[in-house]
Amino acid sequence: MKFIHKIAHLIFPRESNNQKAKLLHNSSLTLITFAFIFYQLIISFVPRFAPKILGFAANISPDEVVRLTNEKRIQVGLSPLTLDSTLSQAAQAKGADMLNKGYWAHAAPDGTQPWVFFTNFGYKYRYAGENLARDFSSASSAVEAWMNSASHRENLLSSKYKEVGIGVIEGNLAGVDTTIIVQFFGTKYVDTAPIAPIAEAKAAVASPISTLVPAKVLVSPFNVTKSVSLGIVGLLLFVLVIDGILVSKRRIARIAGRTFAHIAFLGMILAIALILRVGRII
Amino acid sequence: MKGISKHLPHYFVLFGVLFAGILAFILFSYDRTFQTIVAVAVAISYVIWGLVHHSIHRDLYFSVVLEYLAIAALGLVMVFSLILRT
Repeated sequence: MKFIHKIAHLIFPRESNNQKAKLLHNSSLTLITFAFIFYQLIISFVPRFAPKILGFAANISPDEVVRLTNEKRIQVGLSPLTLDSTLSQAAQAKGADMLNKGYWAHAAPDGTQPWVFFTNFGYKYRYAGENLARDFSSASSAVEAWMNSASHRENLLSSKYKEVGIGVIEGNLAGVDTTIIVQFFGTKYVDTAPIAPIAEAKAAVASPISTLVPAKVLVSPFNVTKSVSLGIVGLLLFVLVIDGILVSKRRIARIAGRTFAHIAFLGMILAIALILRVGRII
Repeated sequence: MKGISKHLPHYFVLFGVLFAGILAFILFSYDRTFQTIVAVAVAISYVIWGLVHHSIHRDLYFSVVLEYLAIAALGLVMVFSLILRT
């Protein structure tokens, strides 16, 4: 019975909580805010003490990235790209280079351009391009993100490219385990035409190509943050609705903010939490 | 509900601001800096709306101000955390 009273004290406006659900008191809201900040600090520090728990790990198949890329090209009437093993090795090397040197960019901090990886692996190009993605949970979400960006879509749907190489690599970047996808586009230099990179590219270092990244069980910091945020906002919205109905029904006069305004604001937070998607492309 | 219909123009303004915030998050999904600015702007607008609304209604008290600030701060902390981890 004591437990039920405590729950009622938290959720329903009654005499014990001065006719306002305890969860909606300023002290409770402040406590929830600080608890959330503390929770975020824990998430930020966990990788330092317990690596391989938090991070982004995805079972992304390079073949699937190629298939989806070609699907997009065929849809606009372009010929599909051929998967080139040399390009894939170069892409894998670029991904490894980013992890080794700890950067997330097309050019390495020492100025190394992505095209260097093409030539390091003996791929003499007439045209070359690069797309990068990280933290995506699937090949399709990464390809869709590229398609939604004008510059990346331009690479993906360029008629100048004949071949593609995909590198998918997992590792620790800036303290968080992540999965990086490197997509190299190219057309071999077969005549006397000058070498011409046509699109911004990004990094590489050598290692054999894997066709499938082994799946790892990691907890995504974004997903746990999103779940907890949705849980808290959902609970507060529920309590606000109950509180609003009971206060209106019982005609309780009290000094407080507008329940309807709070519901609207937290509704917006809920919508934003649902809209935000994880994954970055450059 | 009586209070809502009585102050409908007030709520239209609030809904307009909140809806614009959601729209900005969708349209500028690629720009995290802009999203952060939008979140701060909407939270500030929400608190100001509360102050003006209660002031007009002649029931503006310190605890009410704190209530708006507490909810705005909680919402901001959540949005910042999510943006940081995208």
